[in-house]
Amino acid sequence: MSAALPIPVIQLLQVLTVAVAAPVLTGVIAKVEARLQGRRGPRVLQPYYDLAKLFRKEALAPQTASWFFLAAPVIAVAAYLTIPLLIPVLTSYGLPLGYMGDILGGGFLLALASFVVATAALETGDPYAQLGSSRTKTFSAIAEPVVLFVVFTVALLTGTDLPYALAATVRSSAGQVIRPAHLLASAALFMVILAETGRIPVETHTGTNEFGMIEEARAFEHSGPYFALLKWGSELKQLILYTILANVFLAPWGLASTQQIGAIILAILALLAKAAAVGCVVAVIDNSFAKLRLFKITEFVAGAFLLAVLGVFTLYLGGG
Amino acid sequence: MALASPASAPGIYAGVANVIAAVMLLLEFGMLRQALARDQVRLYAAQSALISVLAVVIAADRNLPDLYALAGLSAALKVVTVPLVLRRLLRGTVGDEEAPGVAGSQAVTPATAVLAGIVLAAFGFFSFGALGIRSPAAPPTALSIAAAMVLMAFGLMIVRRDVASQAIGFLSLENAISLAALVVAAGLPLILETAFLFDLLVAVVVFGMLIRAHHSRAESLSTADLTRLRG
Repeated sequence: MSAALPIPVIQLLQVLTVAVAAPVLTGVIAKVEARLQGRRGPRVLQPYYDLAKLFRKEALAPQTASWFFLAAPVIAVAAYLTIPLLIPVLTSYGLPLGYMGDILGGGFLLALASFVVATAALETGDPYAQLGSSRTKTFSAIAEPVVLFVVFTVALLTGTDLPYALAATVRSSAGQVIRPAHLLASAALFMVILAETGRIPVETHTGTNEFGMIEEARAFEHSGPYFALLKWGSELKQLILYTILANVFLAPWGLASTQQIGAIILAILALLAKAAAVGCVVAVIDNSFAKLRLFKITEFVAGAFLLAVLGVFTLYLGGG
Repeated sequence: MALASPASAPGIYAGVANVIAAVMLLLEFGMLRQALARDQVRLYAAQSALISVLAVVIAADRNLPDLYALAGLSAALKVVTVPLVLRRLLRGTVGDEEAPGVAGSQAVTPATAVLAGIVLAAFGFFSFGALGIRSPAAPPTALSIAAAMVLMAFGLMIVRRDVASQAIGFLSLENAISLAALVVAAGLPLILETAFLFDLLVAVVVFGMLIRAHHSRAESLSTADLTRLRG
């Protein structure tokens, strides 16, 4: 167990871990949620079976749609699979490609993926798909300033905007963990993640009521392998956001600091455990709150904005 | 790759004090936003509980046994007694428990109120930050947050048109000042602190009488009826 892995393999493993583990996270959250409601719930591996079934099915596209309609899911998944190169998934030291982009670079990739999916939905002419993409863009435009302020906090704390630098800062002392700026920024980021992954109080994740849908409605016209890619894409996005929250902000411990195989395997297990823990919290929130009315969602995001702004304020006063 | 050195952290004691102060400020925002009088009272009780916790933290850190007594006294008074009295007072006036109470008394929409609150808080923050008050006991951030809370409490009294919210605003103003006092002058003699606490009790009684009197004359809690003089 003491053989050292070459750096490119570790880099590849970061992407593979996220790609393979994303569906099981969704399965775990669905299971925990069902358990809390007193149901047995689907198998934890059910999302894999869903994806496998969809990949075997025939793909149909609306007549009005162009090539972009079919290209969008592929572009989205490609964007999601690029992000794990930029963030600390397994290692606490920066991998060579990790400095290719900063937090804003990762944010741009997330925005690109969401943009191509929304554009593809617009091509279909289906009113629900269009409604979904319009709502997604409206609410992510409000969430954007929150993310910017969180990035400002990171920049003020570390002097850079590299996710690796913030993780190292948080690890450096207990004082860095309980300073208000860090806690407020983490809370704001968590609220944005709830909104972006389509969880209560913003959206019901497993609903079939089109009027309440935001993100879920966009994929209505896609089918077969393309629909599978979109589903897998939203699962990837969820795991990526949880990884950022856990490995950069809340608990950047348990990452591998060497290239040893044992350390890397431990890091993979730690990541899965942390993502499952965040997922359990999300499941509890899912079960304890009602969905907000559509026009109240802005107030929810405004709450996150308040937290992020206060975080920056306290930092400016020195000592926050 | 060399990374810039991280900003130095203020230390655990100052961090905890600052976090408690920041959460108190967030609760102040909650009161500004909250539509039900009952929930406003609940937020006030939570804020008062936090200030007792802060007193305990300071007492433990700087060996001031007086502060433990103060924390207990303050909790008994502001977490238990005052909210109970306020609830009793409101029960008679706003009808049954489920009555909306003070809903709709906002002079501006909640979003505007919160944005105005952010501006007020920013002004309080930076004006106190610019004063550069440094005490050996005080994390400067907590003091600036106290200043922001004072302004926010005034803001709460201004944007609400009902007596109940205005009373809550006044009481939370007292919380803000206690926070500033704890941070700047933790070693104040216990007798003085106790005297301040009992001042608060007087304020509650006076507010209670005002709420009762206003309600019996105007049949509502709204202060909008008071703008015109009657001969």
